[in-house]
Amino acid sequence: MKSRKMKNNYTPVLLFIIKLMLGITFIYASYHKIADPAGFAKILYGYEIFPGSSINILAITVPFVELVAGFSLILGLFPRSAVLIINALLSGFILIIGFNLLRGHQFDCGCFVFSSENQTASNIYLLIRDFLMLASGIYFLRNTTAS
Amino acid sequence: MIQKDLKGIFLLVFFALIAAFSYNYLSPFGIALFGQWEPSKGVVTSYSGTDSVEASIEIKSIEMIKQIVKKKERIILDVRPREIYNQGHLPDALSFPLKDFDDSVSQLIRSIDRQSALLVYCSSVGCTDSHTFAARLKNLRYTDVKVFSGGFRQWQKVGYEIQKNEK
Repeated sequence: MKSRKMKNNYTPVLLFIIKLMLGITFIYASYHKIADPAGFAKILYGYEIFPGSSINILAITVPFVELVAGFSLILGLFPRSAVLIINALLSGFILIIGFNLLRGHQFDCGCFVFSSENQTASNIYLLIRDFLMLASGIYFLRNTTAS
Repeated sequence: MIQKDLKGIFLLVFFALIAAFSYNYLSPFGIALFGQWEPSKGVVTSYSGTDSVEASIEIKSIEMIKQIVKKKERIILDVRPREIYNQGHLPDALSFPLKDFDDSVSQLIRSIDRQSALLVYCSSVGCTDSHTFAARLKNLRYTDVKVFSGGFRQWQKVGYEIQKNEK
């Protein structure tokens, strides 16, 4: 009973931290992709997963979906919808990174900066980070209601 | 709740798409809606506003490149970084790294006649440095510039002769 009460007391703080963390992360992640769509398109090509006809469209739209979802979450405009979008994106990133790690394909994730080095270790770290963010997003959805 | 969440998703994605396509259209760094991502068709590119890729100057046939190298039909320019060039390059290729272009441009103009037939390459179909270099050569009024689209990686893959610079 006591632990339940403590959980309830801390939940709003935790939700606020998750909101800030996910929002800022996605705004930050979108910045360099918006600044250099050609570079991001090349990163997407490097994943060797997407059909050629979809690469440019994804490079143009995905960063703005990240940006809008990030801002919307921080500003409290449709926060649950923003987290649902963020979770969908994170699930996609996890599938893509995981698939390439499993098949041993070297790639640059291009998540935050476009690096010239491809390191499997850093991509495993990215996978773990994405899982943690997804878990935070699920926690957020389970503890909020549409207002 | 689900209805409100879905409405929110629709509105946010709709707004994001409007912003994305508008920004891409207005930005000097914007890219085309469809790029060239088929390696067999030459250098891959998103066709951005700052892109200098020109498919018409590409030579895609490795046999044709072999012929050019063998008969010395063109002056070959390797635009990869010097240290990469030293590890292996096409026979008789000259090193003019793109990143050192400003420093080496006077030497280039002095040593290579503007009417010379030139062939530029970089690492693979994934790099556009060869096209960037070719565009700069054209600006310098070099009239016959071609790009080997497959680059060093394709040359190496088929097992043709590779020259190395010791040191």
